[in-house]
Amino acid sequence: MVIIGNRIKSDNLDFVILDDNWGNKFDTIAAADAVIIDARNPDFAAYLMRRIRTSPQVELSFKPVFLINYSSTNDPIVSNLNDGILVAYDQLGDAVSITKSIKAKWTNLQNQSLPTYESQAFKRVLDYMYLRGSRTLKPHIDTRSIIGYTYPELLVSVDREEEFQSLELLEWAEKEGYIWPDFFDRVYLCNNCSSGFLSYREVCPHCDSSNSKSQDLVHHFPCAYVGPISDFQNEFDSALVCPKCNKGLRHIGVDYDKPSTINHCNNCDKDYQDVFIKAKCINCHVDVDVQYLKSKDLNVYKLTKKGRAASTNGLSVSDFEMEEIFGSLSFPMMKTMLHYEIERIRVNPAQQTSIAMIYFENIWELLNKVGKKGEKGLLESIVSATRENIKPTDFIALENNATLYLCLVNSNVTEANTIVTEVNRVIASLIKTNFNGFDIKVSSKAKALETNNNSAFYLKQLSDSVMLV
Amino acid sequence: MNYIDNLIAFIANLDGLKIIRFFWFFFFFELIRFFLVDLIILIFWKINRKRREKKMAKARNQLFHENPLISIIVPGRNEGKNLFQLATSLHEQTYQNFELIIIDDGSDDDTKIICQSLLNQGLIKQYLRNDVRGGKASAANLGFRYSKGKFIVHIDADCSFDRDAIENILVPFYIDAKIGAVGGNVQVRNYNESLCTTLQSIEYYDNISIGRIALSQLGIYRQISGAFGAFKREVLISVGAWDIGPGLDGDITVKVRKLKYKIHFEPTAVCQTRVPNTFTKLVKQRLRWDKSLVRFRLRKHKDVFFPTASFNWSNFISFVENITFNLVLNFKWYFYILDIFISFSGLIRFIIPINLFIYTVYNYIKYILFSLFRERRNQPVVYFLPYMPLMVFYFGYFLRIVRTVAYLQEFFLRKSYEDEWNPAKSSRHAKAMRI
Repeated sequence: MVIIGNRIKSDNLDFVILDDNWGNKFDTIAAADAVIIDARNPDFAAYLMRRIRTSPQVELSFKPVFLINYSSTNDPIVSNLNDGILVAYDQLGDAVSITKSIKAKWTNLQNQSLPTYESQAFKRVLDYMYLRGSRTLKPHIDTRSIIGYTYPELLVSVDREEEFQSLELLEWAEKEGYIWPDFFDRVYLCNNCSSGFLSYREVCPHCDSSNSKSQDLVHHFPCAYVGPISDFQNEFDSALVCPKCNKGLRHIGVDYDKPSTINHCNNCDKDYQDVFIKAKCINCHVDVDVQYLKSKDLNVYKLTKKGRAASTNGLSVSDFEMEEIFGSLSFPMMKTMLHYEIERIRVNPAQQTSIAMIYFENIWELLNKVGKKGEKGLLESIVSATRENIKPTDFIALENNATLYLCLVNSNVTEANTIVTEVNRVIASLIKTNFNGFDIKVSSKAKALETNNNSAFYLKQLSDSVMLV
Repeated sequence: MNYIDNLIAFIANLDGLKIIRFFWFFFFFELIRFFLVDLIILIFWKINRKRREKKMAKARNQLFHENPLISIIVPGRNEGKNLFQLATSLHEQTYQNFELIIIDDGSDDDTKIICQSLLNQGLIKQYLRNDVRGGKASAANLGFRYSKGKFIVHIDADCSFDRDAIENILVPFYIDAKIGAVGGNVQVRNYNESLCTTLQSIEYYDNISIGRIALSQLGIYRQISGAFGAFKREVLISVGAWDIGPGLDGDITVKVRKLKYKIHFEPTAVCQTRVPNTFTKLVKQRLRWDKSLVRFRLRKHKDVFFPTASFNWSNFISFVENITFNLVLNFKWYFYILDIFISFSGLIRFIIPINLFIYTVYNYIKYILFSLFRERRNQPVVYFLPYMPLMVFYFGYFLRIVRTVAYLQEFFLRKSYEDEWNPAKSSRHAKAMRI
């Protein structure tokens, strides 16, 4: 083992040590086999752990991370997403074997182009877990999480500010059979922003104010007077005297009782017995009737056999159906239309038609940001921008949210390439403008449609030529 | 045939003196008090109608000009099933500036859920609940404590109202400032449900719709029905609102009278209520009502008979009339029966049928004649005619016997303090304080 500056070389592995002065050297991290964070400053350790695990690049996000000088913290991200605790730099101990194991497993990961945000996001979680041999997703109390709980492993896929998406993602994965739930707790979330930080208050049913005073009602048996206890009290002593018959109240249950309570609202001056319980969202300030809060079960999830195999065998997406996007065909319909187009060209050999495929390589990062709700809108924008740059007779289809096929009728391959280049430019510009300068990486390929094969053949050819580059 | 011949011969031999001797109870008491006096008063009341209507129109204008908030309080236990109809009927009222307060006296039915629903729909203003039952008086007092209206209208949950009932019960307060409370005209809604309810309907018509006009005109009206009565707020404050029942409606009326306020009966303020539909239930109800005459008139408010500082002739007369015609004559009837049996034992077989015949004819004449004075022209009148002969047995025998039992129970056993209608925790104190 050799320690040089902030690097440790051991067993052909390169460990990089990072402390407060690391200087945003992500390149250094990417190049190293593993990272050792000096956790003397817990805030720094937490910050860096988040930066690494939330990185869109899997090379960073999945990197083995060890802590040194670590003292226990209540931050579940730091305590659950590290790969080990070191006692000294010269005693790497299990860190070497863990790093080797992760590196070895990494080669087994199945790289897949997946059709939906959920499948892409959850595949990444499964991959992270596979590398660490982890099989359980457990919620941890986390005051920094908007829902009050966090599933640390999901941080590799879900934006922390959109933590509610974790629950949706887990529901999806459960439905798909990758994980198996076991009830852990139930949370109530704001129906506006899904925050779990709620202030529960008893409020006046008339004006929603919590500025109220509650009193016992007192029933004086001999004269049947009933009123709030303040009617019976005086300023001078603690005696209770009936305002109707002036008799002193002696013995509860014998000459008086307290049949109920009553509240007086200091805001609207009204009296009421049944209070409303409202929950004020600390995040968005909306006041919600508790009956309208979103109720969510938090489960401890165990990976199913299917879930355990997904990282190496790939995620099964056979039952996937793209949501209908206006302006595009369904993918099966596209295949049928291509078949007719091939037949048309066969009859009219002078006609030339091209097909093209556009693949958005890093669109899942964007979908991660916009979430499930924004997914359809984003795809609609892409389809709309594409349609504006093709002829009305051309048709397009989304195979999944990363793959777009175009059939450019009566366009030769040169014209098709020109059109596709322009479409790529427009879409990249559209996304950059609307998503805070996000750079979408696009690969595309156009090909002339010929008559000697069927549509599936041409589509596969295109897919291979784009994806295998 | 022999009996009929003898009966005809007996009737043929009757002269004026004999008639009086055989049927003195009817001629000296019932006919004079419950027919002649009532008829004379009704005639005067009819003659004054134009003047009265003019006054009422002026008062009505004043009422709507001032448009005071009134509080309608509805104390009750396990009345959930009646509340929707009640609230709906009230929201049809011509006078709308009211707050409807439901007081739930420890119900164990769905009252709470129903009231919360009515609150959400805006059909009631306030729902107050005693988780522990305290009795009707305590529930009414709780409602009064949280009411804000200038006038307090006390109603029962099983009532429904003519569209102008609330307006009409308020108008008298603007006719005479000395009126402290107004009683409404309570009629029977389920009159055709059973024989029992039909007979009660005729009784209510006689005793309330007509009888209370007479009492009110004489200034001796002494019982504002708990089913429908209105009070000035300051009057209720002065009397300390309701005391422990049963019989709290009669009790509060006397308390108001003692403060020298007038009590008015308003026949145009019509409310309909459900009455017991079996004779068993009716007996239970009447035993409770009748005991209160002894408890409140003869015990709690006996000071009315004595020349104290608060002595008032109209109260005195009201009490004397009440006790004479309800209590004394009740026992005197037994004396009459005894008298006839001892003096004319051989003629009983003729006297009783003739007595029944006289009462039946009397009931028919009274009912038809008094119907001319009824306020609501759309009331069924003919429906009740076939039942008139039964009223002799209902009123003359059945109710009289129930009344006798109630008086004796209260005189000697103070049974009203054991009535389950009021919780024992309160009755115990009332008994100890002899109120």
